[in-house]
Amino acid sequence: MSSLSLEITLGVLKIFSFVVPVLVSVALLVYLERKVLGAIQLRKGPNVVGPFGILQSFADVLKLLTKENLLPSSSNKFLFIFAPMLTLILSLIAWAVIPISSTYVISNLNIGILYLFAVSSFGVYGVIIAGWASNSKYPFLGALRSAAQMISYEVSIGFVIITVLICVGSLNLTDIVESQKNIWFAIPLFPMFIIFIISALAETNRLPFDLPEDEATLVAGFFTEYSSISFGLFFLAEYANMILMSSLTVILFLGGWYPPIDIFPLNVIPGIIWFVLKVFLILFVFLWVRATFPRYRYDQLMRLGWKIFLPLTLVWVVLTSAFLFYFEMLPK
Amino acid sequence: MFFVGSFFLFATFLITTCIFVIFSKNPVNSVLFLVLAFLNSTFLFILIGAEFVGIILAIVYIGAVAILFLFVVMMLDIKRTTLMSNIKRYVPVALLFAGIILTEIIYLTIYKSSKSNPSIITRSKNNTEQIGDVLYTKYFIDFQLSGIVLLLAMIGAIVLTHVYRPTIRRQNIDKQNSTTATERVKLVKVNTGQGIEND
Repeated sequence: MSSLSLEITLGVLKIFSFVVPVLVSVALLVYLERKVLGAIQLRKGPNVVGPFGILQSFADVLKLLTKENLLPSSSNKFLFIFAPMLTLILSLIAWAVIPISSTYVISNLNIGILYLFAVSSFGVYGVIIAGWASNSKYPFLGALRSAAQMISYEVSIGFVIITVLICVGSLNLTDIVESQKNIWFAIPLFPMFIIFIISALAETNRLPFDLPEDEATLVAGFFTEYSSISFGLFFLAEYANMILMSSLTVILFLGGWYPPIDIFPLNVIPGIIWFVLKVFLILFVFLWVRATFPRYRYDQLMRLGWKIFLPLTLVWVVLTSAFLFYFEMLPK
Repeated sequence: MFFVGSFFLFATFLITTCIFVIFSKNPVNSVLFLVLAFLNSTFLFILIGAEFVGIILAIVYIGAVAILFLFVVMMLDIKRTTLMSNIKRYVPVALLFAGIILTEIIYLTIYKSSKSNPSIITRSKNNTEQIGDVLYTKYFIDFQLSGIVLLLAMIGAIVLTHVYRPTIRRQNIDKQNSTTATERVKLVKVNTGQGIEND
């Protein structure tokens, strides 16, 4: 085997070593969500399929796969089928730059964080194309809501990322994690950490900000017309995006693969395990929030994004850079 | 070989999508082809090693501007026929701009390309750093000026679209939160057969 084809084979294997765990953890996350919600609401949750019901999500996927895929006759056929594919592709290609440990990453890009930001901002296309191509009232309203919502919260996410970047002095995700070896950014930048988690909820259309798929007013929002596996792809993408945003939170604020304190029993545990544990912590917060808070009204959502988060993050960017400049702590 | 091959691939896609932007029957399809055109120009930037500019182009134009276009175009009820009847009015202006841009391209290809090669971007520093070095020092005035232009555009848009209607009842959240029970609720002792007087 020549060196080029060997390299390509290794690359493909590496990509699979990211994509397969992500898809499996999506299935486990759906199971976890139903279990956690069940526990919070004093129910049992799924408990029939497999031990403790752990195979429930796989059974659900099988059910979705065997259903008939309906195409509304008045829809734009190509875009209607293309939208769920695009959504899932975008939620998976973002993993190309996520560093799981100091060495384990598919592509250690210099501008990794910008790549992630760009890919996450494309995510809205899947939703808006789905809503428009369905040629139906509720999906269209859901798509419009979601476009406005995702753009609004991207602005504050951008400023939060800029604050972190000022402290790091690099756009490389590995550098961002390594600069948190001594102290995680969640501590000095605590308000930004909270804003980032809330904006991540809005960006992934999770409760309490799930207005694009608000079942009480919009049936199921942008995927009302979808059935079978094309619905399944949206579902997969939503949960893959949740895991992605949690990993991004861990990388930006919770010190990636580093243990909380660098002392003996903690620092022998491999970095990957720390990373996964932290991602689980953030995901649990996502589920906990879902079970606790009622849904926001649309104008409240917009007010929170534009009138509270935007000024706050803007001031914090100026404040952080002024602080670092005054005390001459700006990264070289 | 790889460089030249990918350049022609992306350049061909870019021109094809641009043609589709103009000739699509549906305005929404036009905007989606415009997104593809932006994406291909991002690839072209990355290909010459200007990855920062490329990704920023993607974030700003695909992630924000094109979505707003799409937003507007989807909500407008545009009839193809009315569009076509007006199209002749814009021909002189379009030709003028096309002429200017064509002259620029010809000038650049004839006079500049012989002196410098496409890989002028040095590899010693990454190009985020290179932009950062000159943006706030050498091009400080230009940077501030473009900021002012954007600010003007923003204020202009607000002035043009914002209509103050005093009859609209607005929600004042601070006022709502600051009220107490004593301001809103009153305990009244009602005598039998008399009712409450309205005040």
